[in-house]
Amino acid sequence: MAPVEIRGLSKRFRHVRAVNDLSFDVEAGRVTGFLGPNGAGKSTTLRALLGLVRPTAGTATFGGRRYEELDRPSTQVGAVLEDASFHPGRTARNHLRVLAVTGDHPFERVETVLDTVGLTQAADRRVGGYSMGMRQRLGIAAALLGDPEVLILDEPTNGLDPPGIAWMRGMLREQATRGRAVLVSSHLLAEVAQSVDDVVVIAKGEMRAQGTLAQVLGGDEGLATAVRSQDDERLARALQGAGHTVQRDDDGLLVPGASPEQVGVVAGDAGVYLVGLAPKARSLEQAFMALTADAA
Amino acid sequence: MTSLLRAELLKLRTTRTFAALVGAALALSLLVVVLTALLTDEFRGNDVRNLFLADFTGLFIMLLGVMGMAGEWRHKTITGTILAAPDRLRLLAAKMLSYAAAGAVLSLIVTLTIMLVGTIILSVRGFDTAAISDLVDVLWRNLLVAGLVGALGVGIGAVVRNQVVAIIAVLVLGFVLEPALFGLAPDVARFGPTQGAPAGIVDANPFGDSDDNTLLAPGVAVLVMFGWIGGFFAAAAARLRGGDLV
Repeated sequence: MAPVEIRGLSKRFRHVRAVNDLSFDVEAGRVTGFLGPNGAGKSTTLRALLGLVRPTAGTATFGGRRYEELDRPSTQVGAVLEDASFHPGRTARNHLRVLAVTGDHPFERVETVLDTVGLTQAADRRVGGYSMGMRQRLGIAAALLGDPEVLILDEPTNGLDPPGIAWMRGMLREQATRGRAVLVSSHLLAEVAQSVDDVVVIAKGEMRAQGTLAQVLGGDEGLATAVRSQDDERLARALQGAGHTVQRDDDGLLVPGASPEQVGVVAGDAGVYLVGLAPKARSLEQAFMALTADAA
Repeated sequence: MTSLLRAELLKLRTTRTFAALVGAALALSLLVVVLTALLTDEFRGNDVRNLFLADFTGLFIMLLGVMGMAGEWRHKTITGTILAAPDRLRLLAAKMLSYAAAGAVLSLIVTLTIMLVGTIILSVRGFDTAAISDLVDVLWRNLLVAGLVGALGVGIGAVVRNQVVAIIAVLVLGFVLEPALFGLAPDVARFGPTQGAPAGIVDANPFGDSDDNTLLAPGVAVLVMFGWIGGFFAAAAARLRGGDLV
């Protein structure tokens, strides 16, 4: 049984269908990217998983149990939601102490997680004076307080500066390395691509693709081929004549769905000399755009 | 439940609002008692006993209760709170109990302080002081009222959720509607949650003759307060259990 299982999950808000028949697993020791454009239903799915919204149909469970049914949930699931907020007048240390008391964790854990996220020096400052990045770190400290087996993060890189994003990537990887199941939602694909093992892509509340990063990177059309020649215009006409789609960029031509061998044969038949020929995986961005184009 | 209670009490203690309102309750209560003890020339009947009913803890703990609960929505901390304690009814009950406990403790401190200061002033001025039995009688009534209105404040905050609206509603009810109702329809006003029933518990009408019999008997007044608290708990529970947190 996977640490996180979502089966046939649907959620409707009056006349709006936010999530429709969504099913996927999050495996232990892996970082799963949960991707989709704004309004795709990512946050609703995570909130249903965490018992904050009630599914219209389907289930979302941790080891077969709903979040509300977990004994001492903070020891099993740590979550940072997109709109995670803190009382502005309370210090970070006190905020974590309140959570520690709620979850029956010793205060030593507060100091440990403050150190983990690098907030020890600022722990006695009121959270109202924190930057967005510091708030994100505090949210992660709260999620780690119970040393949980599952981490759920909703848009964790929002508002982070480049060093903060790098820190977040490292933190996600470290948590997975320690055997935790990590589910991280994002619409910032470039950031997710560098830190996830598996990808689930949704749009308009529905599943569009899921699998390993490599599988989804390939997309439905498989690899593309980048090619440069002594006469790109002539080669482009030849490729189009052979039924291929050709995209032009500064470095030459990109032929989606064609292997280097196919491109080489067309070039040879057309008598065009090649100066560069290489397989090129579609970027996650391109795959994402293709999968969610109708949701934009 | 114990953990939830401890967590809520820790929450309460770790904001400046708590310190400010506790200070205000103590200062206002002392001011009234000191001025009354210093400036009044004659104390008759229950005047000395009633002097020590000037414990303003009830008002402030009710406001703290409203802010403590409605503030969860204002500061958007309700999501984190429910993630930490997914059983929403236990959370609501813990919050009510913790504010009731805080109200009682705060009232204990304030009432003992005003009793000490008031008694010293009265003694120095040569007036009779209240008997120990009267002081004990006032003390438990003050504690009970503070505890009950603390819980009620949480219930109001949980139902209204908009902190500003909830605070204004409590102030208007306590300082405008219920006092006006005492003048217009005292038989109805005595069931009020902020003035009427609490006045019955302490057995002193703030808007009428101290010997009048319009007030509810203390036991009935306590039951009425439990009714108000239960009503708000039920309404808040229905909203909390049935609602999505989006």
